[in-house]
This record gives sequence, C-alpha cells and structure tokens, in this order.
Amino acid sequence: MDTTQLLKGVLDLAVLAVLREEDGYGYDILRRLRDAGLTEVGDASVYGTLRRLFAAGLLTTYVVPSESGPHRKYYSLNAAGRDQVARSGKLWRSFASTMDTLLDDRGRAV
Amino acid sequence: MTVTEQEIADYVARVRGALTDLSPAVRDELTEDLPEHLAVVAAESDGTLVERLGEPEAYAGELRIAAGVGAGRRSATGELTALVDRVRGRLNTLDRQLGPPLGYPTVRAFLHLLAPGWWILRGYLAAMLLAVLSTGLNGEIGLLPRIGGHLSLGLMILAALVVASVMLGRRDARSRPWPGRLLVLGNLVLVGFALAALVHQEDRRGAGDYYAPISVDSRYDHIRDVFVYDTEGQLVDYARLFDQNGDPIRLGYPDCADARDVIRRDEINGASPLLRGYPYCPEAAPFGPRPTAEASPPALPAPPGTVQPDSTASPAVPETAPSTPDPATPPVVPETPPATSETATTVPDTPPTSAPAPGVAPTG
Repeated sequence: MDTTQLLKGVLDLAVLAVLREEDGYGYDILRRLRDAGLTEVGDASVYGTLRRLFAAGLLTTYVVPSESGPHRKYYSLNAAGRDQVARSGKLWRSFASTMDTLLDDRGRAV
Repeated sequence: MTVTEQEIADYVARVRGALTDLSPAVRDELTEDLPEHLAVVAAESDGTLVERLGEPEAYAGELRIAAGVGAGRRSATGELTALVDRVRGRLNTLDRQLGPPLGYPTVRAFLHLLAPGWWILRGYLAAMLLAVLSTGLNGEIGLLPRIGGHLSLGLMILAALVVASVMLGRRDARSRPWPGRLLVLGNLVLVGFALAALVHQEDRRGAGDYYAPISVDSRYDHIRDVFVYDTEGQLVDYARLFDQNGDPIRLGYPDCADARDVIRRDEINGASPLLRGYPYCPEAAPFGPRPTAEASPPALPAPPGTVQPDSTASPAVPETAPSTPDPATPPVVPETPPATSETATTVPDTPPTSAPAPGVAPTG
C-alpha cells in the first residue's frame, strides 16, 4: 500500500480541510496540499475532486480577474461543505485512532 | 523554458480527446483551467509536460475518476470525436516538426496563407456539385457549372457561392452561423466530390484516347483494316492512303492479335501506329497468305499479258514432266548420265519450281 492508495479515500477531506482555512483556486489548493505533506497528490486528482465536490454542492465558486493571465476560478466552502468537513473529520479521527490502536497492538504483539 | 504554448495546447487537446464521451458541458468544466494549470507547471520546472504529468490520456483518466464522472456512455459520435481529437493531437506534433523545413514556424502558419484560395475553390466546388446534382450523375460534366443545362444560371450560382464561401471563411470562428463540425463535414464532402470528379475525368480522358474516332465517315465505321493489292495480286504492305488534300485517310485501328508488335515496331520508328500504313494486320488478309504462284490464278485476268512467258512455259511443263522422273530412276539407267543432262538442258527455263506447277497449272 502506498500513499496514492490512501489518498484516494481521504482526498475529499484533505481538499475540504485546505479550503476551510482559506479560499483558493486549483493550482493554489494543489500547492497547499503538497506543502502540507501530501506530495504525491496528483494534479488531475485535485482538479477532479474540486469539480466533484462542487457538483455535490459542498463548494461555491467565484471568478477573480487576473492582470497577468486568465481569470481564476476560486473555490470556497459553503455551509454544506463546512458540515461535511466536520462530519468527515470526525469519522477520520475515529478511523485513524482505530488504525493507530490496531497498529500499536499488533506492533506490541510482534 | 522548454515548454511552448503549442505543447500546452496539444496536451489540452489530447486530454479533451480522452474525455469526448462526456457531455460537452462536463468536459469543458473539467478542463477549463487546465491550460492555466499547465502554464504554471511549465513555468515552475524544466522538462516536458508529459514528463511532469504523465500522458494526457492518463491525466484525463485521473481527472475523470477524481471527478466521479466515470466512463460515460460512449456514443458513436463520441468515438468519432475522440478519434478526431487524437488525430488532431498527432497532427499538432507533425505541424511543429514539419513547419521549419517549409520556412514557417508551423505547417499551419503556411496553410493559413492559402486559406483564401481554398475559400474560392470551395465555392466553385459547391457550384459544380450543385450542377452535377441537378443534371444527374450520367450527365456530361464540363469545367463550368450548368444548372439544368443553363450555363448563365450556373455562372450566377457559381459567383454567389464563391462570395458566400469567402464570407464564410472570413467570419470569426465564434460568430459562424454553423457549428464548426458541420463546416468541416461540408468541406470534406466537397473535397471528396472534387477527388471523385478528378478520377472520373481522368478515366474519361483515357477512354477517349483509346477509342478516338478515326473513321473518316460513319459509312466506314465497320472497317477495321484496309488491304491493298497491286496489279499482280500481291498484298501491298505499308500502304498509305491520302485524300485530295493530301490528308491521310485513317480507317480502322490496329487491334489484331499482334498489333502490339506492330505498335512497338512503329514506336521504335517514332511514328504513330495510325500512320504506319495498311494493313494493320497482314495476317488477316482476306485473300489468303502472301501471294505466291498459287495466289496468282485469281488475279489471272490481269497477268496473262505481262506474264505470258510463264503461262506458255507451264503448258510445256507436262511434256518435260515425264522426263523429270529421270532423276528418280538414275539407279535403273546409271550408264546414261549424258541423257539426263540433255533432258536437263531442254528444260532450263523451268527449274525445280516447275515441279509443283504441273499439278496446279492444269487446274488453273
């Protein structure tokens, strides 16, 4: 199992978590995820995830004109998105602690 | 800076090409900020986009899965547009590679200069297609459009279509009244029509050459060859016929089995097979083979005056004929060689050739 496999399950939460801090556009969100340590996250995965979360009604978008290049599409969490972060976050913590316990027990056993 | 605008455009085109099964709206949404993203990626580091991000098709697959749109229903048109997009990606690569040898950054830049010429040709082709459709496929196709047999009407339509085609070409891609694909399809139809017409004309030209009318008059249409016999009944070879103006009279055509030989022989001489002279096919002579002693009898009415000695000699032959057995009987009378020599001297005018004559002459 590598990070890529793990990321598939939690990328939604990771993206939502990044957006909870601050609104961002695609590449910006990707960079923040990588800076946070998720270096193996794929470019296309982040863009795809943003589209899906938007389609699910968890994000809102707005366009910011840019002097240097094309307009940028910014994403921000809406109320549903914040709810989702809270619920998923709780789920993840419980799941992670279960895994921690599991690994710790097994680790001791071995 | 190793990544060019063109490379970005190619990459985007290929990603989009891998997503053609999606509805255009979804596809546009998925790839709307891809160019910008690629530009940032390109500016960030060295190496090609493919080295950085993987193949565009893989990128598209990742995008599709992450967006949860999955593999959509692949319609026939989706397949087609996917193919078109893939081909377009490859063409873009070729475009950049082949441009410099032509003296332009891309082949596209070069072809762009030729576009107005194509617009005019397109108008012409559309008019010709209309003319062909109006007269039916069996009608004669000239170089100018005739609508229902009227050239003036055809020319007016031609002018209108050329103007319309140029206007259509000059329009900005966005304000075109027709979708781009329909326009491409129309162009392809016209190009196909043009190629078909070229092939048709080429076929007709070749056929015309071979079956060119060479008879001077329809009354002589059935004549395929001409055989000239001289006063002695001899078949004249390489005879040439001329009319009162000195123009060669051409009848028939060298289409006999060995015509190929004839033609080759004359090609060596640098002459047209039609100017070779008659007969084209000596073997097909109606009055037997090349005239010999046997062929002369039919022509006897003329010869008697001129070939009198021969005819007098032949009656004499029967008298000598009895003596001819002598050569066959030498074993019987070996002691009389002088006698044989005498008989030989009596018939000096009719050497061995007269031997077969006895059988023929009486019948003639």
